[in-house]
Amino acid sequence: MRPFATLVTALCGLVLSSSSIVYAESTFASPKPLLPADFKPPQVFKNVNLVRNTNLEKGFARETINVVVENVDKQPQSDYYLSFPSDLFGRVGGLEVRDKKETEKGRFEVEAAEVDYPSDVQYFVVHLPEPLASSSQITLGISYSLLNSLHPRPAAIEQSDRQFLTYSFSAYVPSAYQTMTQKTKLKFPSTNVPDYTTTDLKSGEDPERQGSTYTYGPYDTAKIEPGTSHPVTVRYEFTKPIITATLLERDLEVSHWGGNLATEERYWLRNNGSKLLNHFSRVDWTVANYQQSPSSAIRELKYPLKQGSVDPYFTDDIGNVSTSHYRPSKGNREANLEFKPRYPVFGGWNYSFRLGWNNDLAPFLRRAASGTDSYALKVPFLEGPKMAEGLQYEKVVLRVILPEGARNVRYETVEGSSSNGLPSAGQIQSSLSSHKTFLDTLGRTVLTLAVESLTDEARDSQLVVTYDYSFWEGIRKPITITAGLFSVFAAAWAIGNIDVSIKKR
Amino acid sequence: MAESSVDVLLKGGSGRSARGLLRIIILVTIAAAAVSSRLFSVIRFESIIHEFDPWFNFRATKYLVQNGFYEFWDWFDDRTWHPLGRVTGGTLYPGLMVTSGVIYHVLRFLTIPVDIRNICVLLAPGFSGLTALAMYLLTNEMSSSPSAGLLAAAFMGITPGYISRSVAGSYDNEAIAIFLLVFTFFLWIKAVKIGSIMWGALTALFYGYMVSAWGGYVFITNLIPLHVFVLLCMGRYSSRLYISYTTWYALGTLASMQIPFVGFLPIRNSDHMSALGVFGLLQLVAFAEFVRGFIPGKQFQRLLTASIILTSGLAFVGLVVLTMSGVIAPWSGRFYSLWDTGYAKIHIPIIASVSEHQPTAWPSFFFDLNFLIWLFPAGVYICFRDLKDEHVFVIIYAVLSSYFAGVMVRLMLTLTPIVCVAAALVLSYILDIYLKASPGPVTRGRSNEDPSDGLRSARNPEVGISSYFSKAVTTSALIVYLLMFVAHCTWVTSNAYSSPSVVLASRMPDGSQFIIDDYREAYYWLRQNTPANAKIMSWWDYGYQIGGMADRPTLVDNNTWNNTHIATVGKAMSSREEVSYPILRQHDVDYVLVVFGGLLGYSGDDINKFLWMVRIAEGIWPDEVKERDFFTPKGEYRVDDQATPTMRNSLMYKTSYYNFNKLFPMGQATDRVRGARLPAESPQLSTLEEAFTSENWIIRIYKVKDLDNFGRDHNSAVAFDRGNKRKKATKKKGARVLRSE
Repeated sequence: MRPFATLVTALCGLVLSSSSIVYAESTFASPKPLLPADFKPPQVFKNVNLVRNTNLEKGFARETINVVVENVDKQPQSDYYLSFPSDLFGRVGGLEVRDKKETEKGRFEVEAAEVDYPSDVQYFVVHLPEPLASSSQITLGISYSLLNSLHPRPAAIEQSDRQFLTYSFSAYVPSAYQTMTQKTKLKFPSTNVPDYTTTDLKSGEDPERQGSTYTYGPYDTAKIEPGTSHPVTVRYEFTKPIITATLLERDLEVSHWGGNLATEERYWLRNNGSKLLNHFSRVDWTVANYQQSPSSAIRELKYPLKQGSVDPYFTDDIGNVSTSHYRPSKGNREANLEFKPRYPVFGGWNYSFRLGWNNDLAPFLRRAASGTDSYALKVPFLEGPKMAEGLQYEKVVLRVILPEGARNVRYETVEGSSSNGLPSAGQIQSSLSSHKTFLDTLGRTVLTLAVESLTDEARDSQLVVTYDYSFWEGIRKPITITAGLFSVFAAAWAIGNIDVSIKKR
Repeated sequence: MAESSVDVLLKGGSGRSARGLLRIIILVTIAAAAVSSRLFSVIRFESIIHEFDPWFNFRATKYLVQNGFYEFWDWFDDRTWHPLGRVTGGTLYPGLMVTSGVIYHVLRFLTIPVDIRNICVLLAPGFSGLTALAMYLLTNEMSSSPSAGLLAAAFMGITPGYISRSVAGSYDNEAIAIFLLVFTFFLWIKAVKIGSIMWGALTALFYGYMVSAWGGYVFITNLIPLHVFVLLCMGRYSSRLYISYTTWYALGTLASMQIPFVGFLPIRNSDHMSALGVFGLLQLVAFAEFVRGFIPGKQFQRLLTASIILTSGLAFVGLVVLTMSGVIAPWSGRFYSLWDTGYAKIHIPIIASVSEHQPTAWPSFFFDLNFLIWLFPAGVYICFRDLKDEHVFVIIYAVLSSYFAGVMVRLMLTLTPIVCVAAALVLSYILDIYLKASPGPVTRGRSNEDPSDGLRSARNPEVGISSYFSKAVTTSALIVYLLMFVAHCTWVTSNAYSSPSVVLASRMPDGSQFIIDDYREAYYWLRQNTPANAKIMSWWDYGYQIGGMADRPTLVDNNTWNNTHIATVGKAMSSREEVSYPILRQHDVDYVLVVFGGLLGYSGDDINKFLWMVRIAEGIWPDEVKERDFFTPKGEYRVDDQATPTMRNSLMYKTSYYNFNKLFPMGQATDRVRGARLPAESPQLSTLEEAFTSENWIIRIYKVKDLDNFGRDHNSAVAFDRGNKRKKATKKKGARVLRSE
């Protein structure tokens, strides 16, 4: 009687549970407040001192702004506006604002506040967790990357030539508020900086040069109107490719039955470096390879994989790419997948491919509490190749494919005391859907997270997904298959027993 | 004890079911062996589509899966044969693609996520398992011996003659067609034996499937009528024959006409006329048989003679008139080349240029069939001993297909099934004689009870071999042969037939495998870094691959439906740049792709195929392209500094060797395929520029230059860029005139 009852329950479960999935925490990006075109943030703050560090060692600009902010209003204020020129606004990646003095307290909530077209400036609003009292100060640490901000000059070079990049910015850091003093430090990948703008904004040499570090400022800008810009362009040698993933689709498939976490990543890669002036010459490339000379072409990518990763594959649209090398992990070291595109990817060239591997599920999954049906899955949000020249991702779509029948899905990104490279939760779009595969009846619950403008700074970020998954959901598939096969056999037997002959009996 | 338990298993009622079970297990094992022996390439390389034609089938299958059946049926492909396009849906045999499409959708329905590529790659091995089963059924109809069918199935499963076209990845029409061929023949034999409409209709059904799958269906269309005709001539008319043939012909012809590519051919093409003729003849014979029941013998003879002469005369005259008037198409060129092996070489070089259309070399019979080939005549002889209707079929099939296999390498495929049947008949016959235990007590007891008194030998007819020694010798010899056959098949499959030819493998000095993946490197470069509708010109061999892997429009491909277009490409390749460039411009060519094996010693490159391009071009422009000009006065085909000026100025030569000497020290450039020391100077290109060369130089891609910005011709533009001083004399003085060309 008992097994029969369980069978009935399970079958009912098959039918009913489709309606009972609760779309918990489905945080679709809330409609952004659209500000009028002539919007000006209320002048309630003052930047007492501002230091901007621009790091140009990678294929994108990484800026860190440390600013001492003082409330000059009579009321306590909590909304600090960050202004960006409109053309940069969409390329700001991994924006994070913290209290510089108490970084372990976590990031502040940041919201994009778009200004109606046409406007030269767009804003992010930083919501301070506690309103800043009148005439008191706070030190903000603002960090972000600017994607596609480096442009090769000359735009096309000979295959064996060295590549130079230009970076343009304003000597006055764009800010919505009055700034007392400010300076900008630039860190170049090498000391070879043939061209840079000199200014007369301060007495003495500007910029000051020290090795590969150039400093613009400090400027006394108390009398300068907020929003004034003074264009500066630097041109420097960068012998590495500018690796850009126009799209990364990353699938994490959780299988409770198999105890397996399968990862597949699909990349659409492009090199944004200098294009080839003439066409590709194999002779020159062979020579360059032989001499190991630096090149702006993507020769090889190195991808450290989690310990215990097995069965890696590297394929593209037309099959396996044989030029890959996998070093499995030994001891505590990470496994390493070294793979070469089919051809060297020069500036302006594309290469799309897919990578995948499997991991044991146990290190990633655990029950939220023993005895419950609730699980917590902790997986890397982004992995990606680890290259000295860095990687920028224009769009990342992460799909976490949970087992069939998982419900009450929630997620959060793990915050540490330092930046994890991800933007704040409001800028991660999420949705739940269902995906049918491998004899599924209802389809698996899929959590899709989409982020625009990321860099490989987010490599170590973690994502925690919690969900409920009952025992009966787990045995739904064996029961379905058994029932299916049984009905096939029964049908075959029944059909076999029908006599359709027209002979006399 | 063991023996007795085996006895229990093999005797009586339970024995029968035990034997049936054993038979099923053996068959399943054979099918598994057939499948797994075809997986060498998947294990060694990867799950990849092989060679040339399969790439088209794969592309068409993807189109079918993505766009649905009706779109596929109406598919006009503007990405091939630029600028003509190809009515692909109406000019292909859809059976293969539809089969994979159905499998794909069934799997999707069960939500099993199988990539369409994997279905395509594994279709041929899967169907070869089915072929082994069909072979078992067919052979079982021929022999009463229990072992014949199993032997035939095993032979069919692993014989290289069939494996050559059905390894994993060889996604071609033959992959399913051989199964359909064998199974249709089985159904036909069954129909003739029983005389049932159902079996005849089933034959027609599978014949229709076969028509949809492979152009080789004409073989069935002619073999079955021939079988019937021979039976009629042997005086073996029966109502069974009448029922099965008329059912098959009527339904089968209707079924075959459903395929757009076949259309009205069954009633308009000479290739199909024998089936129609035999259909008519059968009606006459049936009528005559009917009349004979009413009329006395002598009058009947006279009537019969008169009517036969009259009708055959009428039919012949009708055929001639219809052929002359063009209602019935005359024989096709490919058909003529079956009778005259020299025909293609003279009239249709494009057919002759394909290696699989060459006459078969003798050793390849042994290579593909091993010891089956010498068992084959014995098997045919055995059929003569016991000449039933089905044995007549085997004999006709054997005679016809041995001829065809001798004419064309490719048709070895149609020979293989009948060789397996014949060889299995012989082997089972021998095994039955030599393996049977000594005459059982049952026989002896019965002969003892025989009351008639006669000679002892006659009374007790002990037919068979009783000496254990001769039994042992013969069977062990056979077993050795069989084992050698298996070893040979494995060796041949592994070494000769399991290379994808898209990916090449060689060995590193330390013995590890080194993959040469130049084709895909270059194709993928094209796919990723050229505009989506950049036209690629290459020799037609690579058309399907470019379409499949690079996803770019091509000028010509392996379909070869338009000889003139191919000749145009041949002309562009074999002419000087000044002649080629206008051709390239007229055809919107953006890139020229050539295959060059000189660095690696890869012999299947374009320079080695070059003479065919010249010949095909010469067929259309005999005044402009001459094969003789490519040979030195001594009649040698050379690429070094002795090469003729025509050769050295041809686009193919230039694109192949452009900048090749830079890889070598001064004057040391060597072509490893032809073993020739190349001239010290690299050929100069003025209208093309090198765009991409793959790692081992196998694929070289050139971009066709745009018209010069200053209106100069490319030659002088290049000379100017190089800094050559322009001769003053060439500068024309005087009033400017409008060029009129």
